[in-house]
Amino acid sequence: MAEIQQQRETAMTPGGAAIAPSARRRPREPLNWKRIGKRIWRYKWIYVMMLPTLIVIFIFRYIPMYGLQLAFKNYKLAGIAASPWNDFAHFKRMLGYPGFMQALKNTLIISLMRIVIGFPFPIILALMINEVRLRRSKRVLQTIYTFPHFLSWVLLAGIMLNMFGQAGIVRKVIEVINPAWAADWNLLYDAGAYRWMVVFSDMWKEAGWGTIIYLAAIAGIDEALFEAAAIDGAGRGQRIRHILLPGIISMIAIQFVLRVGSMMEGGFDQIFNTYNEPVYRTGDIIDTFVYRMTFQRGADMGFTTAVGLFKNVVNFALLLMANAITRALGQRTLW
Amino acid sequence: MKRDTSTIRPRHSRLNRFGVVDFVLSAILILFGLMILYPFWNVILVSVTPTTVYAQHRGMMLWPPKIIWDAYKTTFRSSLIWSGYRNTIIITFLGTAYNMALTILAAYALTKDFIGNRVVRFLIIFPLYFSGGLIPYYLLIQDLRLINTIWVLFLPTGVNIMYLLIISNYFASLPDALEDSARIDGASDFRILFQIILPLSLPLLATFTLYYAVERWNEWYNAMLFVKSVSLWPLQNVLRTIINDVTVMASQNIPGQVRPDIASDNIKMSSIIVSMLPMMMLYPFLQRYFLSGLTLGAVKE
Repeated sequence: MAEIQQQRETAMTPGGAAIAPSARRRPREPLNWKRIGKRIWRYKWIYVMMLPTLIVIFIFRYIPMYGLQLAFKNYKLAGIAASPWNDFAHFKRMLGYPGFMQALKNTLIISLMRIVIGFPFPIILALMINEVRLRRSKRVLQTIYTFPHFLSWVLLAGIMLNMFGQAGIVRKVIEVINPAWAADWNLLYDAGAYRWMVVFSDMWKEAGWGTIIYLAAIAGIDEALFEAAAIDGAGRGQRIRHILLPGIISMIAIQFVLRVGSMMEGGFDQIFNTYNEPVYRTGDIIDTFVYRMTFQRGADMGFTTAVGLFKNVVNFALLLMANAITRALGQRTLW
Repeated sequence: MKRDTSTIRPRHSRLNRFGVVDFVLSAILILFGLMILYPFWNVILVSVTPTTVYAQHRGMMLWPPKIIWDAYKTTFRSSLIWSGYRNTIIITFLGTAYNMALTILAAYALTKDFIGNRVVRFLIIFPLYFSGGLIPYYLLIQDLRLINTIWVLFLPTGVNIMYLLIISNYFASLPDALEDSARIDGASDFRILFQIILPLSLPLLATFTLYYAVERWNEWYNAMLFVKSVSLWPLQNVLRTIINDVTVMASQNIPGQVRPDIASDNIKMSSIIVSMLPMMMLYPFLQRYFLSGLTLGAVKE
């Protein structure tokens, strides 16, 4: 779950990388226990304040990390510590496991499709919204576009059923155009179409939310540049090419790096709520695979932990890389 | 169309004609807006149209030919919907308060130069990059004896690390002078936080309270994993069951036979509407907070 929560957190915050640590590095001083004691005492209430949060984070985020040793053990009901080690047996099994390789492949393909098709869309949308001159219409459009972001995939899965299902309105419209297409209508159970459905429905849900960060970047561009451009007679295209795009390019770069950094996240909430057995072939991602392996068959806890660990390690490496690149781009990063 | 000239920015002064490009752009933007709105409208349509009428309808339906409220009556007669609503409201209130309390306290603490600040910061951020995964988490919840309790629906959420960092940054960006003068007057850290820092951050706090509330309202994952008793399910899980198979609800507290013109599709859609009702009603009025907070926190400093 922690990974899914993690995914939600990053998803909720388009401006993640722009956050800068505010604690300043202090010059190193010789150890002086009395002074240290005094300082700790001075901040005693500060320690008290953060204690509850640290305890909660420790329990729900760090204790599960201890359980990761199951990936190298044969799980016994006696408990995590009592289970015997089996070295890398789970990992060896994993690499030859057809469902796993399929899920890994699907995760990467869906992520790539999301990046290639879904990533540029909010940027284009933000540039288009920016061209709207009436502030009120801008506001109304943004409000509408952002609304689906706040709804759960549980609910949206129901709406998709209503649109694209056997009795859905899309089929009814297709029927008028060409009854033959409607006769073998099967969109929600079609393995070939599933990945496209995932990518486009996600764009529909999140594009408006994605524009917020770019519109904020546009708002941060120096007004004088636009005035100068106007005096020089720059047209709309030139304005976009020479002022707007350069003004938001660093934000685009950061968002891109972050997006690539979360390649291993296929979007559990969305896929779990919209997939079905006929589309496992193209739609099953690592998270859904782990879930099904854990709860729907005679579970091998060690094996599924190993699959989860594999995903998290790759994820971790990607995120560190993304972080290093963001830093190289001159942005302040989380650490 | 009435145009409010005061809002036109100077950057557009040379382009104040509404040209062909503007027309095309507006058309595309409005079309996308309709693409967002139409599915919701269609949900409403299906929920109020008798299934027989809907089934015979061909092509696009823009207005229901006949309106019946039976699906809503059935939905509201279901004890599951009511218990789901009750549970969701409980976890939304308790959970949001719990999330905000933990977030605000830690966010303020992090702005201070106490010994260990960098270590604490690292410990808070690290779980964003790495986690234990599903099984260790499941075993933990089992060991904590939280299975099949309402607590499991919000206790594990703790803080959203990103929100915590954004709020902390915002607190750090407030002028020190206010805090210093209060400290000279002998105010404690708690007092400074509650009487000086928080009142200055109300719009930001409103935003993140809403985000947390939405997250708790949309909770289904922990319930699916850990809550077996249907009476403890939050609304989303009830909705999941209804969307996938309406019979659970039909067997729950609905007297007699379900009438033939109220088949599952209407009930699915009326349940969707019922479960998003608070969001639909609050969102237009609170959209300022829904849309503004992230940039507020991240751009500062």
